[in-house]
Amino acid sequence: MSFLRDGLIAFSLLITAYFLLWNVSQIAMSPLAIRSLWRDRLRNTRRARGLAGGVAVPRFVSIVAPAYNEELTIVESLRALLAVDYQPREIVIVNDGSTDGTLALMQETFQLVPAPLAFDQPLPSAPVRGVYRSVSEPDLVVIDKHNGGSKADAANAGINAASGVLVLVIDADTILEADALGRAVLPFLEDPATVAVGGHVGIANGCRIERGRVTDVALPRSWLARFQIIEYMRAFLLFRLACASQNAVVLISGAFGLFRRDAVIAVGGYDRTAIGEDIDLTIRLQRHFRARGEPVRIGFDPNPLCWTQAPEDWRSLRSQRCRWRRGLLQTLWRYRRMIGNPRFGTVGLFPLPYIAFFEGLGPLLEVGGYVVTIVAAAFGFLNWKYCGVMIAVSVLFGVAVTLLAVLLNDVTSRQYMRGRDLALLAAVATLESFGYRQLNSLWGCVGTVQAMTGKGGWGSMKRKAFRP
Amino acid sequence: MTELLGAFARLAPIMVWAALATAVTMAAAVVLERAEFGVQQALDHRLLQRYRPLVHRALEGDDTARDELLHAPARHRITIAWLLIEPLIADRDPARIANARAVVQAMSLFHIADRYLGSRLWWRRARALRALGLIQATDYTPQLVAALDDPHPDVRAAALDGLTDMHDLRALEAIVVRVNDTSLHRGRRGAALKVFGSACEPFLLELSELDPANRLNYIQALAICGTARSRPVLCRWTRDTRLEVRATAFEALAYVGLDDESARVVIKGLESDDPPVRAMAAYALRGWQGPGDAAARLAPHLDDTWAVAVQAARTLQSMGPAGSVELQARASRPDIGGLLARQMLWQASAPR
Repeated sequence: MSFLRDGLIAFSLLITAYFLLWNVSQIAMSPLAIRSLWRDRLRNTRRARGLAGGVAVPRFVSIVAPAYNEELTIVESLRALLAVDYQPREIVIVNDGSTDGTLALMQETFQLVPAPLAFDQPLPSAPVRGVYRSVSEPDLVVIDKHNGGSKADAANAGINAASGVLVLVIDADTILEADALGRAVLPFLEDPATVAVGGHVGIANGCRIERGRVTDVALPRSWLARFQIIEYMRAFLLFRLACASQNAVVLISGAFGLFRRDAVIAVGGYDRTAIGEDIDLTIRLQRHFRARGEPVRIGFDPNPLCWTQAPEDWRSLRSQRCRWRRGLLQTLWRYRRMIGNPRFGTVGLFPLPYIAFFEGLGPLLEVGGYVVTIVAAAFGFLNWKYCGVMIAVSVLFGVAVTLLAVLLNDVTSRQYMRGRDLALLAAVATLESFGYRQLNSLWGCVGTVQAMTGKGGWGSMKRKAFRP
Repeated sequence: MTELLGAFARLAPIMVWAALATAVTMAAAVVLERAEFGVQQALDHRLLQRYRPLVHRALEGDDTARDELLHAPARHRITIAWLLIEPLIADRDPARIANARAVVQAMSLFHIADRYLGSRLWWRRARALRALGLIQATDYTPQLVAALDDPHPDVRAAALDGLTDMHDLRALEAIVVRVNDTSLHRGRRGAALKVFGSACEPFLLELSELDPANRLNYIQALAICGTARSRPVLCRWTRDTRLEVRATAFEALAYVGLDDESARVVIKGLESDDPPVRAMAAYALRGWQGPGDAAARLAPHLDDTWAVAVQAARTLQSMGPAGSVELQARASRPDIGGLLARQMLWQASAPR
């Protein structure tokens, strides 16, 4: 009995220490993130951004957007892509064997006609069924292919067909900011070692969208979407920005990633067997160049470059989170030799061990901690006051971290300008700790079990047409 | 374990208070930052409303408006300078630049620039350099050139931006000799060369002879600003021992344009053993419709390695009737070369 008691108490204390360490580490990262933001604000002036247009040889960008059953959003998204104010560029839509009216809708709206298109196929993908060019939009190419079962497969087909020096891989429902490409191309013009650039992804739920542009940013009605907004802020503006300040970015979100095409081809493109194809590709790029001792930079723009839809129903969110979890575990396992390995520089020493400890083990420790502490308290090994203190400390630090992310977001982009929205964000930051966070950890555990048993597919997300 | 729990119990109030204090501090920071932003925005709005019409009139030569600006409080001068200079990023009308410079001069705003140039804060130095470039304050060219060696990379970038906007030929040599300076942003070096155009050419040609180790960079620069004068030298560098130099020399010839002699060199380049060289030779022939059997010599390269085939196909498409004949001859074939030929023919005739 004494052994059990000591074990439960030790585990509870360990969990408390873990919570404290996680929150303190997030706050400790903030100076790096703030420095990065401050620097970006000072150097990313209008004159400096003009370089993308004034450069002697403008970088040709191919925008690659895989689309699978996107009939609700594809036309709006394509219009937004066509309105991007960057030249020269082409748009390559990959219809990944959609079973709905995605292709027919594009054919009708953009007057697509079958056209010959020859391209090399250095990256593996499912066979292409046909190629279409638009009569009304000369920059638009549509690749119609068999479903390859993953976004990676479709993205590879798009990269094969792309003729740009740079390829921007986005989701079909991503809404780009007008100046997104001009901003994202800048690091490539400044530093030849730049192989990829990612950006802050905003959540479009609740926003007004007109002619493919987000014209009014507002918080959505759905609490689920609101929780995800602050989650995104925390992820993009603390950890990722801190990584960017150390040239150690290990994740470029699938919603917006600008890559040097030759670099992507050199590492074999997206891995079709990867569940988290975005993090897998980013880490592979880092590994490829660092292992060869070649200079490499993966940039990150803290300003919102694009908008995406977040799931508003529990089922879609659960499936997304379980998939993310499986993807993370798969990636950590694949690149385990890089973790803590100084050969890979800051990437091996800072973000990968951090992710392995806090994100890899996090959900298991969190859920285990809740269960063990409650059991220990129920058996009288711990008093309830201890539980209260543990919960209060973790909630308060959690709220502090989230408010810090809200502050950084406000300083960077002034997205939510209404005072009401800001107050609501603060409320969401507090409420998130009561239920939503625990649920996420639980889904993390489910995802872990799925990863270990080899279950779980891509899952589906209930999409909504953009609100005009 | 009991001792550990005891220690935790002693630390518990401290932890709770620390967490609470952190959360409250963050909440206060959010509120204060937003309040400060609101106040600043209101102030800026007031100043802009007051000075924007005056600046507009002063730039159109209204002396009364200029006098009013001259008597503006010192604390408003940065805002006025911004109103005068910021539009010049997009509007490079020489008359507007000259007027803005005259107002800046009259308002003694150059003193602020001097102060900023000597500042220890890199962003102030960068801001001053960009502003001086935008208003083409050529008296400051030596300072801008000196700033190309500033210890901070963003200041060096700003100096290059400033010199690009300044367009003062006295800075030309300083810019050209830095073509190899990798501490300066690559895109900015190219943008500066593009602005100065063919004025850079004599320096680059001379340097490409004197400094063979960096010949590749000079050829790349000639691809931006070279003219017919560069052709003989570029033709010579197509025989350089280094593959990269040879390929880039062909690429530069594509930008410079061909004459009969250089076209002969380029057509011969199609027979190179190195695919990058063949690809750039094919590229260099783009649009060529002069003497020689260029189209016929290019057509077999539709079956070459992918990089060469693409360049050959696009070039054939650009060669007019001679290219079309070759493409049509291969369009019926089922292989990738045939598909490339069909694509080029389709693109040329696509309804637009």
